[in-house]
Amino acid sequence: MIANMSPETAGSWILPAALAAVAAPLFGSLLAALGVARRVPRRLAVTSASIALAAAVAVTVLWQAGDGRAVTFGEKFGGGWPIHIDGLTAALLPSIAFIQLAIVLVAPRRDLEEEMVMRTLLCTAATLALVCTSHPGLLVLLWIVTAVPIWLSTKATPGGRTAARVFSIYLAFGTVCLTAGVAMLVADPPWERSSGLLGVVGGWLVAVAVMTREGIFPFHSWYLALFSGAPMSTALTATMPQVGAYTAVRLLVGHADGVASELEVLSQAALVTTVYGAALALVQRDLRGFIGALSLSQSAVVLAGLSGTLPMELNGAFCLWLSSGVAITGIGLVIWALESRAGPIPLDSLQGRFWDAPALAGFFLLFGMATIGLPGTFSFVAGDIMVSGTLDDQLHAGLMVIVSTVLSGIAVMRCWFHVFGGPSAVDSPRHAILRREKVPMTVLFLALVAAGLNPRPIVLMLERAAAQILQRSRPEDHGHGHGAAAEHPRIPLFSFPPDPCGFPEKKGMPRC
Amino acid sequence: MTSHGLLALLVICQLAAPAFALVAVGLPALVGRAPSETLTRRFVGGGFGAAFVAALLTLAALAVRGFRPEVVHLGSWFSVGHHDATIELVADALSVPYVCFSTGLCLLVNLFAGKYLHREPGFTRFFVLLALFGTGMNLMVLAGSIDVLFAGWEFVGISSTLLIGFFLERGNAVRAALRAFTTYRVCDVGLLTASVVIHRAVGSGDFERLFGIDWPNGTCLVPATTATVISLLLVFAALGKTAQVPFSGWLPRAMEGPTPSSAIFYGALSIHAGAYVLLRCEALLEQAFLARAALIVIGAGTAVHASLVGRVQTDLKSMLAYASMAQASLILVEIGLGWRVIPLVHVISHAVLRSLQILRSPSALHDRHELEAALGGHPGSAGGQRRSWLPARWEAALYRIAIERGYEEMLVGDLVVRPIHRLLERAAAAERRWIEWLAGDRAGGRR
Repeated sequence: MIANMSPETAGSWILPAALAAVAAPLFGSLLAALGVARRVPRRLAVTSASIALAAAVAVTVLWQAGDGRAVTFGEKFGGGWPIHIDGLTAALLPSIAFIQLAIVLVAPRRDLEEEMVMRTLLCTAATLALVCTSHPGLLVLLWIVTAVPIWLSTKATPGGRTAARVFSIYLAFGTVCLTAGVAMLVADPPWERSSGLLGVVGGWLVAVAVMTREGIFPFHSWYLALFSGAPMSTALTATMPQVGAYTAVRLLVGHADGVASELEVLSQAALVTTVYGAALALVQRDLRGFIGALSLSQSAVVLAGLSGTLPMELNGAFCLWLSSGVAITGIGLVIWALESRAGPIPLDSLQGRFWDAPALAGFFLLFGMATIGLPGTFSFVAGDIMVSGTLDDQLHAGLMVIVSTVLSGIAVMRCWFHVFGGPSAVDSPRHAILRREKVPMTVLFLALVAAGLNPRPIVLMLERAAAQILQRSRPEDHGHGHGAAAEHPRIPLFSFPPDPCGFPEKKGMPRC
Repeated sequence: MTSHGLLALLVICQLAAPAFALVAVGLPALVGRAPSETLTRRFVGGGFGAAFVAALLTLAALAVRGFRPEVVHLGSWFSVGHHDATIELVADALSVPYVCFSTGLCLLVNLFAGKYLHREPGFTRFFVLLALFGTGMNLMVLAGSIDVLFAGWEFVGISSTLLIGFFLERGNAVRAALRAFTTYRVCDVGLLTASVVIHRAVGSGDFERLFGIDWPNGTCLVPATTATVISLLLVFAALGKTAQVPFSGWLPRAMEGPTPSSAIFYGALSIHAGAYVLLRCEALLEQAFLARAALIVIGAGTAVHASLVGRVQTDLKSMLAYASMAQASLILVEIGLGWRVIPLVHVISHAVLRSLQILRSPSALHDRHELEAALGGHPGSAGGQRRSWLPARWEAALYRIAIERGYEEMLVGDLVVRPIHRLLERAAAAERRWIEWLAGDRAGGRR
C-alpha cells in the first residue's frame, strides 16, 4: 500500500507516524505513573515500546516512499524547526525504539518495577522526541528531560549513589554549557552567515556540552561510573541513542563558514577518546567496567566522523551510530542476563561460565565481534565507510580508528575468554536462555546481519541525510513541511552545483 | 547457460556450500536446538564435498581454456562517495588449485573429526567453527577485491582463535587462544591500512585495478611507491598469521586445540594464509624491492630460529609447530626471491605432509608399539648422529637460547606488553580514584 503512495501522500503521513512513536511510550509512562499496570509492568512496557517501534518503522518506510526532503512543522527558529524529520531521524527512530523494546523484553523481573518502567518509557519518549526536532530550545528542554529519569533511576538503585552523583555533576555542567551556548547561537546564528564573537563562543559552549554528554575525554568519567553503578537498562538508555551526537549534528554541522573549528577540536578529542576507551576496556576488572569502556570508545568514533566535509564522511559516522548502538545494546543485554543469574562477574580470573549458559556465550561473542566489525554485519560496512571517509581527509584519524578497532577486538575476546573460559564449578547451576531473552537477542543480531548483507538502502538514506545536513547553510534548501519552511523552493537531492565549493562525489574534484 | 555463466555458478558454489552448512548448523545451535552429531557431520561434510566437487570442475574448465582467469562480478555491495565496495571473485591458476586442496583437506578433517570428537561436549561447536573456517578460507582465496579478502581473513582468524581455546575449561588453552588473537589483531592493522590505501589509490578495492589478474604473470598498475607501501603493509599482515619473529610465540601454544583443527590450521591452511595473500599480490611485490627484502630477512631469520628452537622441544606437537614455522618461513623467502610456482607447490606439499603428521601425532606411541610388535623388538637406531663440530661452550649457549625460544617472548613481554599493560592499569586506577573523589566516597560505589 505504501509502495503505491505518491511522495506527497507519504510525506503527509510521516508526521502522524512520528507523533505516534513519541506518544506511545509517553502514554505508557503516564499509565505506569497512575499505577494502572502495577501487576503487569512488563506487559505495559512491551506494548508501549512495540507501538513506538511500529510507528517508527512506519516513519522510515514513509520516508523512503517520499521525495527525500525533510518534513518540518512549526515556525523556524535558530536554524531549526520544532519538528524536523529528515533521513537521519528516519534512521534513528526505529533504531532507538528497537533498542528500547529489546531492553524491556530482556530486563530481569527485579529491574522492571513500575517506577522503573515509568522512567524508562519517559526517557524513551523524550529521546524519540529529541531526534524529531532541530529547534534549539526544544533540544535543550528534551536534553534535560532525557537526563532526569536516568539520574532518578540511578539514584534509586541500591549502591548507585556514586554513579548518580558523578552523572549529575557532568550532566549539570553540560546542561549549563548547552543552555548558554544555544542562547548565544540563537542571538548570532552561524547557519546562514558567518557568525561573530557571540556565535563563536556559543559554538564552543555547545561543543563542550556535546563532549560532556558523549563522554569525550576529559569529560568521560560519568560513562564508566554509570555503567558500574546504574541498572543496565538505565546505562544503555542513557548512552546508546547518543543524544550528544544528535545535538552536534543539529547545532554544529552545516555552518556557513564550513566546518566549525569547535567541531574539528571535538573530532580530535573524540579520536583520542576512542583509542583511550578501547585501551581502558583491555584492563577492566569486571564486566560492567568493560562494557562502559567499550561503549565509551564506540560512541566517540561516531563523534569523530562528524567533522567531515563530504556526505561520505558523515555517512560513516551515521552508519556507526546505528550499528554500534545495536551491537553494544546486544552485549549489554547478554551481560544483564548473565548478572541476573550469577551476580557481578569479575574479569581478573577465568570464570568458567560457558557450560552454565552456552547460548549467552554465543550471543556475547557475536555481538562483541559485531561491535568491532564482524564481516557480514552492518558494523563491517559502517567501519569500512568510516575508515575510508576519515582517512581520505586525515591519515592519523583513519589510523586511530583502526587502532581503536584492534584494541576493542582484543578487549572483547579477552572478556569473552575470561567470562566463559576456565573450569566451571561442579555444582554450578545450569541456566537455559529464556525465550524473552533469546528472541530479542536473535532479532537484534539478525538485524545487524540483514543490514550488513544488504546495506544499500540504509547507506543511501543516510548519505542523503548527510548531504542535506551539509547543505543546510545553503539558503535554497530547507525541505517542505507544514510551517513557514514549506514555502521554500524544492531542490533535487545530489544536484551539487558545479562551483568549486560543491560537495565532490568523486576524487579529484576540487573541494571547499 | 554460457560457459561464463556456468563457471560463475561453480565459483559461487565453492563459497555458498560451506556457508550454507555454517548457517544450517550454527543458527539452530545458537538458539539451543543443535542438530545431532550425524546430521552435523553430514551437513558440514556435504558443504565441503559440494565445494570440493565444484572446485574440481572449475579446475577442469580452467585447464581446458589454458588457465585464462575468470573474474566473477557479483555486483556492488554498497557504494558511497568515491568508495565502491564490490564483490568480485577470481578463478585462476592460483585460487582454484588452492580451493581444491583446502576444501579437500577440510573434507578429510571433517571425516576424521567425526570419530575423533565423538560425544565430545563441544562437538557441534567444533563443526560450526570448521564450517566458518572453510567459508572464510574460500572467501579469502577466491577474493577479487581487498574487501572480500579481508572478510575471509577475519573469519579465518576468529575461527582459529576459538578452536585454539576449544577446551574452554583448560586455562592454558584459553591463554593460548588469547595470545593468538592478540597477535592476529595487531597484524590486522597492516591489512586494514592496506585496504584503505588501495581504496585511496585506485578508488575501489578491486585487484583488477591494482594489477592485471593473470597469475603468475600479473602486471602492476599502480606506481612503484604505492606498490611498495601496500606490499609492506601486506607483509606486516602476513607476519602474524605465518608466525614470523617477533610474532611467533602463539604457534606452539596453538596446539592446545583439538588435533584435527591443529592439523588443518597450523599444519596446513591458516599458517599459509599470509603466504597466499602475498602470492595473490605478487605483481605488487615485483615492484616493491623493500618489501621483498623484508620478506627474505624476516623469513630467513625465522627459519633459523624455528629450526634451532624446534630441535630442543620435548613434545611432538611443539616440534611439529616449529617445523611448520620453519617451512612457512622458507615459503616467504621464496616469495621474496620473486618465485611464484615453487612457493605454491611448497605450500601444498608442506600442508599435506604436515597435516598428516599432526593428525597421527596423538597415536605416535601406539604406532611405535605396533611397529615394535611387528618387528618383534626394538627397531634399532634411526641413523647415526653426526658429531657436532661446534665447541662445547657454543653448543651449550645455543642450547640455552633454543630452550628459551630465542628469548623472543621474554623481550616482547618486557619491552612492549608489560609496559603498555602497566600504563593502562595506572590509567584505569586513576579513573577509579577520580570517580571516587567526585562522588566524595572514598569507599567506592556499588561494586
